[in-house]
Amino acid sequence: MAIQHKWGMVIDIDRCTGCQACVIACQAENNIPVNEKVDFLSRRAKQWIRIDRFWEGEYPNIKARFIPVLCQHCENAPCEPVCPVFATYHNNEGLNVQVYNRCVGTRYCANNCPYQVRFFNFFNPKFPESLKNQLNPDVTIRSRGIMEKCTFCIQRIRRAERTIEGKEGRVLNDETMRDGNYNPACVSACPTETLTFGDLNNPNSQVVKKSKNKRNYRLLENLGTDPNVIYLKKVDPHHQKEGHHA
Amino acid sequence: MLISRRQFLKLASLSTIGAVACNFFDEEEFIAQSPVRLPEDLVTGIDNWYATNGNGPETEGLLVRVIEGRAKKVQGNPLFPTNKGVSSIRSEALLQELYHPDRLSGPMVRTGPRGSKESFVSSGDWDKSLEILYKKLYSLVDHDQMLMITGAKRGSLAFLIQEFTNTYGGNHAVCKSVDELVYENTIKKVFQQEKFPHFDIAKSDFILSIGGDFLGTWLSPIKHGRGWGEFRQGEGRSRGTLIHVDSRFSLTAANADEWLPITPGQEGKLALSIAFVLLDEGLIDKTIADDLTEGQGSRALIDFAPDTIGDQLGIPHVRHRSTPDIIRETARAFAKHGQKSLAIGGGNAAAHTNGSFNMNAIYLLNHLVGSVNTEGGIIFNPSAPIPELNVSLKPNSMIEMESITKKITDGGVKLLLIHGSNPVYSMPADLRFKEAINRDDIFVVSFSSFLDETSQMADLILPDRVTLESWSNDIPDPGPGFQVVSMGQPVVNPLPGINPMAFGDILVRMGHELGMTDNPTFNNASYYDLLRNHANRLFSLQRGSITKPNFDAFWNTLLQRGVWWDLESIGDNQTLEIPSLIDTIKQKSEPAITGPSGSTHNIFYLVPFEHISLTDGTNAHMPWLQSTPDPITSVAWTSWIEMNTDTAKGLAIKEGDIVNIEGANGETISAQVYHHPAVPPTVVSMPFGQGRKSGDVYSKDRGPNPMEILGMPHDKHTGSLAWASTTVRITKTQERTPIPKFEGIVPAYATSEEEAIAKVTNES
Repeated sequence: MAIQHKWGMVIDIDRCTGCQACVIACQAENNIPVNEKVDFLSRRAKQWIRIDRFWEGEYPNIKARFIPVLCQHCENAPCEPVCPVFATYHNNEGLNVQVYNRCVGTRYCANNCPYQVRFFNFFNPKFPESLKNQLNPDVTIRSRGIMEKCTFCIQRIRRAERTIEGKEGRVLNDETMRDGNYNPACVSACPTETLTFGDLNNPNSQVVKKSKNKRNYRLLENLGTDPNVIYLKKVDPHHQKEGHHA
Repeated sequence: MLISRRQFLKLASLSTIGAVACNFFDEEEFIAQSPVRLPEDLVTGIDNWYATNGNGPETEGLLVRVIEGRAKKVQGNPLFPTNKGVSSIRSEALLQELYHPDRLSGPMVRTGPRGSKESFVSSGDWDKSLEILYKKLYSLVDHDQMLMITGAKRGSLAFLIQEFTNTYGGNHAVCKSVDELVYENTIKKVFQQEKFPHFDIAKSDFILSIGGDFLGTWLSPIKHGRGWGEFRQGEGRSRGTLIHVDSRFSLTAANADEWLPITPGQEGKLALSIAFVLLDEGLIDKTIADDLTEGQGSRALIDFAPDTIGDQLGIPHVRHRSTPDIIRETARAFAKHGQKSLAIGGGNAAAHTNGSFNMNAIYLLNHLVGSVNTEGGIIFNPSAPIPELNVSLKPNSMIEMESITKKITDGGVKLLLIHGSNPVYSMPADLRFKEAINRDDIFVVSFSSFLDETSQMADLILPDRVTLESWSNDIPDPGPGFQVVSMGQPVVNPLPGINPMAFGDILVRMGHELGMTDNPTFNNASYYDLLRNHANRLFSLQRGSITKPNFDAFWNTLLQRGVWWDLESIGDNQTLEIPSLIDTIKQKSEPAITGPSGSTHNIFYLVPFEHISLTDGTNAHMPWLQSTPDPITSVAWTSWIEMNTDTAKGLAIKEGDIVNIEGANGETISAQVYHHPAVPPTVVSMPFGQGRKSGDVYSKDRGPNPMEILGMPHDKHTGSLAWASTTVRITKTQERTPIPKFEGIVPAYATSEEEAIAKVTNES
């Protein structure tokens, strides 16, 4: 019987240094065009995973807080019911999936996403001819007029499955689909192991163990989106009360 | 058969329910397929992963994914002891170096005026081009007039460069302005070690960090980052505490439990004040205290008592405490964790005229608490397993570079070979390196893969292979506390139309042509053969992580793994002598801060810093690295000057305003202002790395280079450039342009305090 995954991620923001390694690893893996200067100025820079920085306090008692934010792959995703063409939907592995060739670019999903993690292609992507050699053949390049976002590097999960079933001739189960052999690019790159990816249905997975930490919380929990990304709070021994100033 | 009306209605309703139920349970109708599982999206190519190593000062073991002859993704090598499977953004961008649209396609020769991009034409095939170099080397009567300038190198290439210049009789210099000379000298003096030590961050309980941005750019941030995750939330240990002292708000300051701003150049005095408290309050072993102070105890440090010098340090009242109280609390916390306390320093703390004093004072604190060569403290690194790999070409001091440049200016250099370095851009403008080489009687050969400020001044360009096309080896420095040799291999061939040659191969061929065969190094047919010979020496040791019955099996395994290590071969502490604290106290000196004089309301300390991705400008040609937002300001693609928000408002300077920055040498550059709430009010900061005036489309004309206004102050003991010891005058212009930054692109979350995005707790 096929195993039923529910992919999820734990992000321990007490480990995160804000170094941006995850951001560039994601761009490299997912054929995201280079954000040029004009993209920053016109506020159209695309980062499927980004590091938000918040200030807390005043000089000299000031702190910077970093938090990686990506698609939360919500169980009750606000982006899904508003898509008129079912381009975004929830699959049976807990992933919020974007079907590029269904998308007609209404941008309703982006408007309805409280996490601001969906990006619209206002223009066709541009890559200098020689840099096209580095493009990942596993990932579609999105054209003008459609929406894109983090996929939890679904191509890596599928490759791991194909390798286990096809190349190695083994049966897919929790043992063969073990932690680490299908990590998204951001998780693979993170120097401090801030990000942990895995199967929330597998009680032995690291992601389940870490999600039980007493520091756990979900982004904008009160909205009831039920994200599959679980955060662990930053620890600050001098912190007076919970909260932040953006 | 007759059916009554009632029966008809029953049957009709049952069949309707059945039809609905059947459709309802047909889930497949409603499950859309993931696009990557559609037949047209299935990828038929087979991917291969090759182990190799990164480039630059930070050695990372890498795995590169290659499909159908093209490199697609760089990741960390899980076997590599320093980065353990993760990678930096700089390694990730090696793909863009490989496939860069502005790469030089082959050897070029200058036919027009020196310094013009348009002056270069293809010099034909490699044999003809090397013939030009060979003739120059051969015809030079006085070999002392040959100078080779390279970047910092280690491993077999460093050995080959050394052998070539020594055998030929020429000179060699390493050019890097943001160097680690003061740190290196401190390690020799305080710990009597040649190799940089390993900071055991993962097992440390308390870190007192002064100056060095060890999580951002200083030394080996990826290696430090591996330890950092464990330091904060490792299993089976309590959370570590970091106090960071810095005159700017760096990435390390942003991650510290407490950041203590300090006046630039006062770091050494703070360290000795902490030492005073340790001795005065009896917080450390009395035997150690007596050894270090020649029996004088805290009396030796009476001039550094917190109440005496507190006011001189410029530390504000962090958490509403007086400076003496801050010093005392920091000292107590440092002593509390004993051998698991780590005192580290570098970066701008070393970049002062009194940098050596600052650094000696900081690192001596480790002796006071006994955290030298212990778990959770400073761990020494051993030398390389074979002498050939122990060669390390480290940067020349700024004083030496002045003398070298003067020799060029005076006509004492007729042949200049430049590899892995861009001195016209990276050296302080006051060195006048460009003017020095802009003469007719010097022949300049560049081995750069790109046209940059220095290669554009060359007569002949012989482009090197880039990292992912090259054979290489390296000794990580700092290593992980035991012997490690990394191995790099070409993961792909150059693209059609790109025709480079490895610098190592050129040196070996020149050795052949010049008849250097008395030196066994030049009996190798190629650089690849030299690497194999050195690997053979490693194989013959028959120890470490790879032991095989024959060399071919050893070589293949070394290439597959990309690394050899020996856990048993660790650093030597048998000869450790605890240095005298008294000597350091006698060294005490104030920083000589230079800069504009006159009205002081718009004069600030200038604390430059290395850019998170571009570092000192070496990586400025990679678009991913240009587009990486600075972690604190989120600025990309340009340079900027950080000013305290309130101070800037007081001067009526808005964010994006262009200001003139008059430096220590009287020169002026212009930059956009970024309002920064955490910059000390007396300080402004600027990144190195931008300000390229020629070169490729991605790096050119992207803001100023602070090296143009620094002058050339230097550390008194090492001669290293004191790049953080100047002041600048800021004058507002009438121009203003928006800053390209990520901040603000994502609309702020409309949430209450209880629904914070980045939640914080005070319970670990």
